[in-house]
Order: sequence, then C-alpha cells, then structure tokens
Amino acid sequence: MIMPGPSKISDFKALPKSDKSSLAGDNIAQVSNVAGYFSNNYRKFVADYYLKNYQDKTWLFFPPLRLNHPPEYSWKVIKVNTDSTYLEEFVYPLRDSIYINGFEPFYEDKTPKYWGASQFGENGNSWFTKTTLRFYPSNLAVRLLVWSGISFSILMLYRLGKRIIF
Amino acid sequence: MKLIKILNLSTFFLILFLFAFIPLYPKFPLINIKGTFVAIRAEDFLIALTVGLWGFYIICTAQVRNILKDKLNQAILLFFFIGCVSTFSASFLTHSVTPHLSVLHFLRRIEFMVLLPVVATIVTTKKRFIGILIVLALTILSVNFYALGQQYFDWPVISTTNSEFSKGLILSLSPGARVNSTFAGHYDLAVFLAMVITILSGLFFAAKLRFRLPILLLGGLSLVVLIMTAARQSFVAALIGIILVLIFSRKKKYILVFLILTSAILIYPSQLRDRFISTFTINVLNLGQRYVGQTEDQQKRAKLNIPTLAIQTSSTSAQTSIFASNSGKIATDITPGEPVDTTQLGVYRSFQIRLQIEWPRAITAFLKNPILGTGYSSIEIATDNDFLRSLGEVGILGTLAFALVLVEIVKRIYSVLKQENKFYRYFSAGVLSMLIAFLINGMFIDVFEASKVAALFWMILGLSLAVKDFK
Repeated sequence: MIMPGPSKISDFKALPKSDKSSLAGDNIAQVSNVAGYFSNNYRKFVADYYLKNYQDKTWLFFPPLRLNHPPEYSWKVIKVNTDSTYLEEFVYPLRDSIYINGFEPFYEDKTPKYWGASQFGENGNSWFTKTTLRFYPSNLAVRLLVWSGISFSILMLYRLGKRIIF
Repeated sequence: MKLIKILNLSTFFLILFLFAFIPLYPKFPLINIKGTFVAIRAEDFLIALTVGLWGFYIICTAQVRNILKDKLNQAILLFFFIGCVSTFSASFLTHSVTPHLSVLHFLRRIEFMVLLPVVATIVTTKKRFIGILIVLALTILSVNFYALGQQYFDWPVISTTNSEFSKGLILSLSPGARVNSTFAGHYDLAVFLAMVITILSGLFFAAKLRFRLPILLLGGLSLVVLIMTAARQSFVAALIGIILVLIFSRKKKYILVFLILTSAILIYPSQLRDRFISTFTINVLNLGQRYVGQTEDQQKRAKLNIPTLAIQTSSTSAQTSIFASNSGKIATDITPGEPVDTTQLGVYRSFQIRLQIEWPRAITAFLKNPILGTGYSSIEIATDNDFLRSLGEVGILGTLAFALVLVEIVKRIYSVLKQENKFYRYFSAGVLSMLIAFLINGMFIDVFEASKVAALFWMILGLSLAVKDFK
C-alpha cells in the first residue's frame, strides 16, 4: 500500500526503437497520463517490456496482474476513437494500473490484416504498429482510506457472520 | 400520538399503493441521466417519499435503536457500507466508473433493499397483511390482462430494452416479439410471473376452500402468460419454485401430478418449447445448420477478431459485405458460424453474449479488485448473472455481506414454517420458494437490479418477515 511506485506516465520508459506520437490525443495536455509510440514492436514484446518496467518501478517482488480486455474497451479507458487490435491492463490491485493498447494493422510478416491498412508516419519515419499507454495512478490518502474501509468491513463481517450463521 | 398515527397510516397506504404502482406503471422516464439510458422515474420519488415518511415515523416512535440492534438491519447496513467503500474505491482508486453513475447505481440498491425494513415494520396486523395480498392479487390479474391485450389487441408496449426505446416511446408488439406487459422487458415480466406463481402456490394451500379456485385460476393465467414470454430460465425457476412449495408445505404427493402437467405444457407447441429444444441442440449438443460465408469477403472477415474491419477482396460488388439472404429467411446480421434457423440463432446469441462478453467482463472486474470489485456501474448495464455481477461490482466483501442478508432472511422465514398457523406457514413456504426461484433466475438474469422485480422482491420479503411478528 505504501510502497513507492510510478505516479505519472512519464515515469515509464519510452518504447525502444520508436517515435513518440505528437498527435493531439496522445498528448498529456489533452488526456491525462497518456503516451503514444510508433514502432515496429508487436504485442508480445510491448507487453513483456511494460510488465517488467511496471514491476521495476513499483519495487514489488511479484509482477502486476495481467488482464486482457476487448479492443473496443479502449474507447473507454484510453480515449474515444482509439484504434485497437489488442488491449491489456497491468494492475496491482488496490494501487494503480496501466493500460497497453496496441494497434497493429499488419501481421508480423508485414501482410495487411484488412483492406486499407497503412503504415504510420512520424518524424519522417514509417512504422508498422502504434502503442498507446494510459496510466491510472492512485493517491496514498485514497489508498489509506480504502484500506481502512476494507479493514472495518472485514471486522464487521466476521462479527456479524458469527452471530448470523452460528 | 395523532402525528404518529397519521405517519403510520400514510406509510401503510403508500406501501399498499407501491405494491400496485411499481408493477403496473410503465417505465416512462422522468429525469434523464447523462451517460446512461437508465432514467429516474416517478416510482423513485414515491419510494423516496415512503422511506422518508417511514424514517420520520421511526424517529418519532423512538424505534431507531431497536432497528439498529436488529441483526438483519445490521447486515443490510454493512452491505450499504461496503457498497459505499467500493464506490469510493472505484471513483478514486481504480478509476473504473463515472462517479455520478456509480453513486446513482449504489442509491438504486439502497432504494430497493430499504423497502424490506419499511414493509416489515409497518405491516403489523393481519388486516394490513390481507389488504396487501388482495392488492397484489388484483395487480397480478391486471398485469396478465395487459399482457394478453398486447398479444391479441395490439395494446401499447413501453420498453427499455435499448437506448431508443427507453426514451418512453409508445410501441406495439411486432410479429414474433414476446409480451412484456407493463414491465418494459419480457425477462422482467417472466421473473415477476415466476415470483407470483410460486407465492400463489403457497397461498393455494393456505387459503380457505372458497378462495382456492380464484387462486388456481390466477396462477394458471400467470403460467399461460409466462409461457408466452418464452423465457426459459424463469419457467425453470417457477417450476422449481412450485416443487419447493410442495416440499416445504409437506404436500409431496402433488409433485408427480405437477411434473406430468409440466411435461404436457412442454410437449404442446409454443415458442417456449422451441427455445428449449434449440437450447439443447445448439448450446448443449452444438448441432444445427450453421451459416457459412457466402463470399470471399465474408469468409476472410470471419477469421478476424474484429469482423467489422474492411477486407480487400477481388469483388467490388456491394453484395460482398452484406450478410443478408435474398429470401429474407436468414437474419440480416448473421455471421459465419451462427445457426441459420432464427429461433436457434436467438438462443445461440442469448447464451454466447453471456459466455463471451458479459461473464468474462464481470470476472475481469473481480480479478482487478477481488476485495471490493470495480464499483457499481463499472461492468455496464447487464451481466446476466447476478452472482458474477456482485463479485465484479462489490467484490468478495460486498457479496459476503449480501449473502449474510439473505441467510438471515431465510432463517427467519424458515422459523415461520414451524408455526402452528397454517395460513402463515404456507405463505412463508411460498415466499421461501420464491426467494430460491429468484436466485435461480439470478443465474442468467440481473434480477436484483431489475427495478420493478427487485423492489417487489424486497417488499414481499418484508411482508413475510412482518408475518413472523404477528401475535
């Protein structure tokens, strides 16, 4: 609960061999704690990379919980109109979580997945994938309050449960 | 003293009114809420008024301490407290909800459940109890007649099954559509009917001989309308409910007769029978003729995890992306792998939407925060399994607190089954069976969140707890 950890999206490393997106919606001035990267990195690499990065930043000896979400959920948790072919969430329950949204118009052998698939252009470079991250941090005071509520609830459940069941 | 009497009487008449108003008044929206198509309705204000008057009455009669001392009320308050912690956690820690929506969904739970202590403390005499049963019987009759009117005389339909309908549009039943009477959704009507059929079964044995025929006719009419809804889960729930009534009432000899009657109902051709058969052939045996992509476009698209993405194919014809048949016999939105038969398709989708979307969403929410869940409203409007929904929304703590509430209620109702008074005993057998039937319905439908049936459920439980304290 009180272990230090990342507090903003810039605490996470940039994706290797990538260009940071300069698009308006990928800018934290418009959407909080969001970052976008164009690269040729595919899902497995990206997910493993941020899983490790998140664990290193959190100083916990176990990795975050890995949840797979439907791609369309990206409109809710990243931002509206976010294109997506996969969406994962890494979460330390009752602390914070980071969403990794990937948009891969091409298979790894570079064949297009759908009609009209095109490469991304950024800084004069062409890229095959786009990764968008959004981090949801939590405040220590909020964590303390929630844990107090949980502790009280467990105590009351135990006491009342004993009276009702036995 | 006069004020207390007025408060008591006013609250009772409001309760009486609610027993009729909640099931009968269509779901017309009163105040729309940003971000959802669930609206605040007239009944919400009526319930608030009833609870407000009751609260004032409780304070005036110095019953607050007694109410707070009661184990059941403590369990309910604990459930509310955990709901509050979960809503706070969801809003500021997991960020999994829109705060105002989560708070409103939380208030909805309070609104329904608080009706239990209200009814239990206000219905203090047999006269009041009988009065409520008469109003309930007339309400059931009206609901059934309205359903028949919708089916055969094109009476208006008010539905909340999608965002457009929920604006309060006056509709009519299209061919093949299922009746919903005043319930805004055929599943809600079916749950209501399963509840009342179970209670009527208990009352049938409780009532004097001259009342048995009207009860039987009312129960029979409710069963006919239940079959018209073609809701499989509620039919099974009603079936189990009636068998439980027979067991709790020690009338086991009727079970065989009842099962023969049920078999006859299931053999008789109906949409319900067809849906049961389709459930078996499609969901259990995985049989039935399936749709295969007619064009290259459809076949390619079927392999994508997002089938709406455009596909490059050799044909430029608009026909390539249309999944409809020229004859109109196949559903226009069918995709490869789905059953061709429309009844089978409905049954298939009904199960697959739960299995592939709603239930995994609730399980993911539970995994994200197993202790408190991800908060009310975090897993969209429907989960179609109230146990998974509870785990997803309020986690283990909220689910355990809710279970404690139900355990204490079951214990209390069960104690009435041992009473000498035949009338109360059989009524309680009906209510206990109704509770179990309601939980069975909760395995495939969000019954505790369906406003009309949820409010009635807690009110009927309150009525049953009131019986326990009758002299």
